[in-house]
Amino acid sequence: MSKIVLSGIGKSFGSTDVLRGIDLTVEAGQFVTLVGPSGCGKSTLLRILAGLEAADTGTVMIGDEDVTRTRPADRNLAMVFQSYALYPHLTVAENMMTPLKLHDLGLAGRLPFVGPILARAEHLRLRKQVHRTAATLKIKALMDRKPGQLSGGQRQRAALGRAMVRNPVAFLMDEPLSNLDAALRVHMRSELSELHRRLQTTFVYVTHDQAEALTMSDQMAVMMNGQILQYGRPSHVYSAPASLEVAKFVGSPAINILPGEVNGTGALSVMGRALIPDTQLARQPVSVGIRPEHLTLDPDGPFKGVVRHRENLGSDIFLHVQIAGLERTVILRSHPKVLAGTGLEEEVTISALVDEVHVFGADGQRLRVARPSLVEVA
Amino acid sequence: MPGSRAYLWFIGPAIILMVLILLLPIGIAGALSFTDYSLGNTSANFVGTENYERIFTRTTYEKMFGATFRYVFVVVPLTVLLGLGAALLIHSLTRFGDLYKTIYFLPMMFALIAMAIVWEFAFHPTIGIINATLERGCGTWLEAWDWYAAECDRTFPLWLTDRDYAIWTVAFIGVWQGFGFNMVLYLAGLTSIPGTLYDAADMDGAQSGWERFRLVTWPMLGPTTVFVVTISFIRSFQVFDTVEAFYPQGGGPSKSVYVMMFAIYEKAIQQNLMGIGAAITVVFLGFVMFLTILQRWLVERRTHYV
Repeated sequence: MSKIVLSGIGKSFGSTDVLRGIDLTVEAGQFVTLVGPSGCGKSTLLRILAGLEAADTGTVMIGDEDVTRTRPADRNLAMVFQSYALYPHLTVAENMMTPLKLHDLGLAGRLPFVGPILARAEHLRLRKQVHRTAATLKIKALMDRKPGQLSGGQRQRAALGRAMVRNPVAFLMDEPLSNLDAALRVHMRSELSELHRRLQTTFVYVTHDQAEALTMSDQMAVMMNGQILQYGRPSHVYSAPASLEVAKFVGSPAINILPGEVNGTGALSVMGRALIPDTQLARQPVSVGIRPEHLTLDPDGPFKGVVRHRENLGSDIFLHVQIAGLERTVILRSHPKVLAGTGLEEEVTISALVDEVHVFGADGQRLRVARPSLVEVA
Repeated sequence: MPGSRAYLWFIGPAIILMVLILLLPIGIAGALSFTDYSLGNTSANFVGTENYERIFTRTTYEKMFGATFRYVFVVVPLTVLLGLGAALLIHSLTRFGDLYKTIYFLPMMFALIAMAIVWEFAFHPTIGIINATLERGCGTWLEAWDWYAAECDRTFPLWLTDRDYAIWTVAFIGVWQGFGFNMVLYLAGLTSIPGTLYDAADMDGAQSGWERFRLVTWPMLGPTTVFVVTISFIRSFQVFDTVEAFYPQGGGPSKSVYVMMFAIYEKAIQQNLMGIGAAITVVFLGFVMFLTILQRWLVERRTHYV
C-alpha cells in the first residue's frame, strides 16, 4: 500500500497540449476517478501513471519512489483496458498466468514444455495463485476457454483477474465498463466497488461517465482541457461545483444555467426576478446554476413557463419548461405523483430552492454567497 | 417458395464456369495421363499406369523431384522469414518506411525474364560483378573460411552452370524475388494488431522485444502466416520462368535445375508427349494439394482469429 503522487505532469502531442501541469495525490487504498469529456487528457494521464507514455514534464511517485523513468513492468501496477486486451490465443487461465510468469519465473522456468518441469514448485505456486483469484472473481468455470468464447461481461472479469493475480500496488482502469450493455454496466459498478472494499487496494479509474464517477469513487477529479478543475469527494463535487464547467459536466440531466445579476446592494436577481436579497457580492453579471431536483412547481413561483416536453422515468418525471426570454428549456425533476396533473403545453410557475442555488462569476468560477437561511424568496 | 429452382440461377453460372475452366481440364489431364496422346493425333492408345511408373522409376524424374524439393524447401522458409523480418523492421520505423517498402517490393514488379538477363550478367564468370567482388576478398581475413581459400586458389564457381551450385543460385534468385511479397502481407498483418495488446504485455512485464514478439506479435500473425506459407509453397512449386530463361535447353547442368513445371513444359510442349506431361501435372497437383491441406490442418489448429 503506497500513495501515488503526480506532480507537474505536462504532455503535448505535436503542438497540442494534452496535459498542462497536473498535480494529483492518490492516498493509499482510495478509489479515485478521473472523469471528463473525451479528449480531456484523462487517459493520457493514466497512461503516464502506468508508464506506457512518458510525460514531458513532471514526476510520478509511487510510495517514496520516483518512478518517472521506470518501465511499466517494474512499477507493479495492473491495468484493465477498455477493450480488455486479453491475449486471444491463450485461455483465461494462461492469460492470468502470463503476468506471473513474466515476473516470477526465471528464463528456464519460462521455456515451453520443459519450463513446468524445471521449475515445478514455482509453477504449482503460481497456478494456485491463479486459482485463488479465479475463485474470488467466480470465473473458475471459464478457465479453459479462449477470450473469443466469452461474453463481454466474462471478458471483463477475465481482464480483472489478469490484473488482480499478482497483487499490484494499484489498479488502473481505462473505461473498463464502456463496452458493456447498460444493465451489466450498472451491475459491474457495484461489483467493482465491492471488489475495492475487499481488496483495500488503490484504484485509479478513468471514465467519461459522470454516473460511474459519482457512484463508485472515494475521490473524483473532474478534468477538462488537460487540467483538473476540481478534486474532491463526489458528493462535494456534486453539491458544490467549483466552476461552471464542472457544474455542467456533473449531474444528469444537466444543471440549468440561468443568466443573473448582482446589483449594487448585493441582491441577486435572475431574469429580473429577485432571488437572494443580500449575497454580499459586488455588482456583476453572474450565471446561476440550479439542479433539476431543486426546481419545484409553485403557484407563487417567480418564473412562468410552458411545458414543452415530459419524460417519465417511472421513479421520476423530467419536465422541460420553456421560460419566456430563455433560449434553452429548463429541466425540472420531480415525483410522478407531484406532476400527475401537469400536461404538455400547460402554463406552469416555478420556484427554486434558494439554498441549493450555485452562483458563478463571469470567469466561470464559483462565487461564495451569503444566504439567508432557508428563506424562500418569491 | 418451396420447390423453387431459383437457387440454380444463383449458383449456376459459377458452377458452370468452375467446371469448364477448372474441373474439366483437370479431368482431361487425368484421363490423358493414362494414354500416349500427342497433339495433332486423332487417337491415342491407353497405356495404363505406364506414364506414372516412368515418373517414379526413371532417373530424369528423380532429378526432377530433387530439384523441385531443393528449390521449395530453400525458398519457402527463407522468403517467409525474410519477409517477416523485413516487415518487422519496416514496421518499427517512423520514417522512410515507404521507401524501404518500395525497394523490397521492386523485384516482384519486374518481368522476371528481364531480371534473369541481369542476373546472368551478374553471375558471369569473367565479366560478372559477383565473382569480381569475391576475388577482391582473396588474401584478406575471409580466407580463414576454408571454402573461400580453396575457391581463391582455383577460380570462383560458375554459379549458373556448375551442377553443385546451379539449383541454389536459382533458389537465391527466387528468394530475392519473392520475399518482398511476403513482406507486404506481413506488414498488413502487423498493422491489424491492436496496440493495447502491446500495452497489456508491457504492464504484464514483457521486458524485451523478444518477449513481446512471443506473447503478442507472433500469435497475432498466425492467420497471416498460414496464408503466407501456403502461397509461398504454391508459388515455389510453380517456378518456371527463371529456369526457362537461364536454361532454355534441358533444365540446367546435368538436369540439376529440372523443376516440375519445366518438366511439364519440356515433355508436353517441346517434345509433344502429352501423356507423360499430363501425368507429371497430376503428380504436381497432388503435391500442391497435399501440402496445402497438410499445413492448413497443422497450422490452423494453432491459429486464432480475433
